Amino acid sequence: MGSGRWSTDVYDAADRLRRSTGTSAFAYSDSGARAVHDALNPMNVTTRESCDSDEHPQSVAIAVLFDVTGSMRNVPRILQSKLPGLLGLLLRKGYVTDPHIMFGAIGDATCDNVPLQVGQFESDNRMDDDLGRIVLEGGGGGQQTESYELAMYFMARHTSIDCFNVRGRRGYLFIIGDEMCYPRVKRAEVAAVIGDDIGEDIPTKAIVAELKRRYDIYYILPSAASNAGDQGILDHWRDLLGQNVIELDDLDAVCETIALTVGLGEEAIGLADGLDDLADMGSGAGDSVGKALARIGAVSRGAVVHGPRIGGSTAVDDVDRLDKAVAGPDGNDGVIRL
Amino acid sequence: MTGRHTVVVDLGYGDAGKGTVVDWLCASRPVHAVIRFNGGPQAAHNVVLPDGRHHTFAQFGSGTLAGARTHLSRFMLVDPLALSREADHLRDLGVADPYSGLTVDRDALLVTPYHGAANRERERRRGDARHGSCGMGVGETMAYSIGHPDLAPRVGDTASPYVLRRKLVALRDAVAAEFGELDVPPVAACVEAFRLFADRVVIVDGDALRVLLAAGECVFEGAQGVLLDEWRGFHPYTTWSTTTVDNAMTLLADAGAVELPRRVGVVRTYTTRHGAGPLVTEDATLTAALPDTHNGTGAWQGRFRVGHFDAVAHRYAVEVSGGLDALAVTHADVALGRDDLRVCEAYRVRVGDPGSDGAGGRTRTWSRIEPGPFTDLGYQEALTGRVEAATPLLAPASADLPAAIGDMLGLPVDVVSWGPGRADKHAPGRMPAGV
Repeated sequence: MGSGRWSTDVYDAADRLRRSTGTSAFAYSDSGARAVHDALNPMNVTTRESCDSDEHPQSVAIAVLFDVTGSMRNVPRILQSKLPGLLGLLLRKGYVTDPHIMFGAIGDATCDNVPLQVGQFESDNRMDDDLGRIVLEGGGGGQQTESYELAMYFMARHTSIDCFNVRGRRGYLFIIGDEMCYPRVKRAEVAAVIGDDIGEDIPTKAIVAELKRRYDIYYILPSAASNAGDQGILDHWRDLLGQNVIELDDLDAVCETIALTVGLGEEAIGLADGLDDLADMGSGAGDSVGKALARIGAVSRGAVVHGPRIGGSTAVDDVDRLDKAVAGPDGNDGVIRL
Repeated sequence: MTGRHTVVVDLGYGDAGKGTVVDWLCASRPVHAVIRFNGGPQAAHNVVLPDGRHHTFAQFGSGTLAGARTHLSRFMLVDPLALSREADHLRDLGVADPYSGLTVDRDALLVTPYHGAANRERERRRGDARHGSCGMGVGETMAYSIGHPDLAPRVGDTASPYVLRRKLVALRDAVAAEFGELDVPPVAACVEAFRLFADRVVIVDGDALRVLLAAGECVFEGAQGVLLDEWRGFHPYTTWSTTTVDNAMTLLADAGAVELPRRVGVVRTYTTRHGAGPLVTEDATLTAALPDTHNGTGAWQGRFRVGHFDAVAHRYAVEVSGGLDALAVTHADVALGRDDLRVCEAYRVRVGDPGSDGAGGRTRTWSRIEPGPFTDLGYQEALTGRVEAATPLLAPASADLPAAIGDMLGLPVDVVSWGPGRADKHAPGRMPAGV
């Protein structure tokens, strides 16, 4: 069809696109790489730093680590396609002035070649490069356990974030996955993957407690993932993180969910404001995000080290308005009317 | 430098060499991304690699071979089918994964096979009164989106098969209602191909531009030429696109950019036009003597025509662009040693009663085409009539034609192109050895 230089018919184009599939978002992984990329290797890393600078005086560290086992394979691909939107949403709506975003991937240290991959905190789309270097291993799984505790150990002991160091505001750690932690951070695994000698194993609850001093930790369970709805997994994470466990029914809404969670945590918005922002931007994710964050929006962020908190009444009002909006007579068409 | 981002536009009717200039810009400094801000798959920006291999950029930015990313802004018309073929050719040239460096705004319009079929049928029915269309459906896509803003398929729809299906059915039916049954593929096949496209490219919101602009120096690559602009061109011989710097400036402003970009206009040492419409300095001898490597006679677009350097028209292009910062002058090698190339700084027009033989009245010179009120197509059409009736006042070209062109347009010349490759680009005033 068509007569321009590159014109082609619809079947030919479909063939070309099909043949090219799978070499883009994770070029490094899709090229057959099965070892961690140098840029993401946690071995012998002193610290991953999120530093204030003249350009970014109010840095806020936001780390997003996801499980890369088979059942979760789509999550990183969707994250990659949504990322520029996440940064833009945070910036445009003023939720955070200087977000520093880090990506990483979690595997299973008992059986994977690449149990932990961690990028740098970045303030522009260099973070996309890190995402492109992640190896999607597809091992793990099966026993409903992944080495999340090893990743949390790294975040606790090998990151330095100025939002906390300078301003006493915690950073954000989002873990996206569908399995449970191992009960202990194992000395041998830390030595093999990160290169530290920790003397003895550390209970996972202890490392979570240590990490919580500097980060608000959220666990996102996409309900499209294989173990979604498994009560045991939800209970496991609620036991570790309290209300910061987010069940998300639409994987496409993952970046909006992260953005609004940060917006709520930074007290830049109430939940209803955030959902308004999404509707403004033409995002259809409002319903899913609203459902996923109803608990967080209602309770607001846990104890912030310094500074005021969202007034409880405001947050409750937001949820009331949201309930009316979602259940309203206009029907569930993806547009939130408040 | 007035700013770190650069906007590149063609000051003529297209084909001046934006591709080669953008490629050179991206190869000579660290350019993060090339941002397209007008037109669509009909663009043909040619870049020649040092080893002689060549690519015609249509939807990928002309900085691709120099390693720059591409962003297709919301002002673009995106043809995923044509894009897939262009991507494959880029891969053949050694770009490991052309899609990985591409972001597309979800609000950009989709050019579909239905638009293309309607476009070609409409041109066929115009017969000799053809507008010089490329036959790909770009004009139809714009027209349909204006008539049916809510039904026009957009890039974001490719990821939503149900929405896309509904829109494509409506479009197919609208085309069939106007033209009867044309040879078009079934909607299901289009939905499938577009879904594969959505899987393959990174579709972003407008906010992504803010991130892109913050990440490094960007080049805004214009398509076609300012003299084809939908509002400022010689109506109706225009394109459905704003070809001035306006869209680029809008994108920069929307993204909160504070610094003004450097606005660079590209001209050849002679003036050309591909297809129908005014070309005051047209010279049949030059057309015969200077065939274009990349521009034959297109089945839909018509002949490639050559004229002397038309400073009157190019000055008008600078003026309607709101002023520029610099020029890039291409095809200096072609002009070198030709004694038949002249320059035109004024037209001759006949005023008063022409008399029965058409030769009466007086003549006067016309050196500035006056811009009319913005979006006044009646004014533009009258302008077309005046320009078509004008004859060029030709003067001998200076030995250093690129410098003379800078003087005629009142702008500094950033770069002179002495051949198709990056290595053929030089600072003004320096003729490279071996030319």
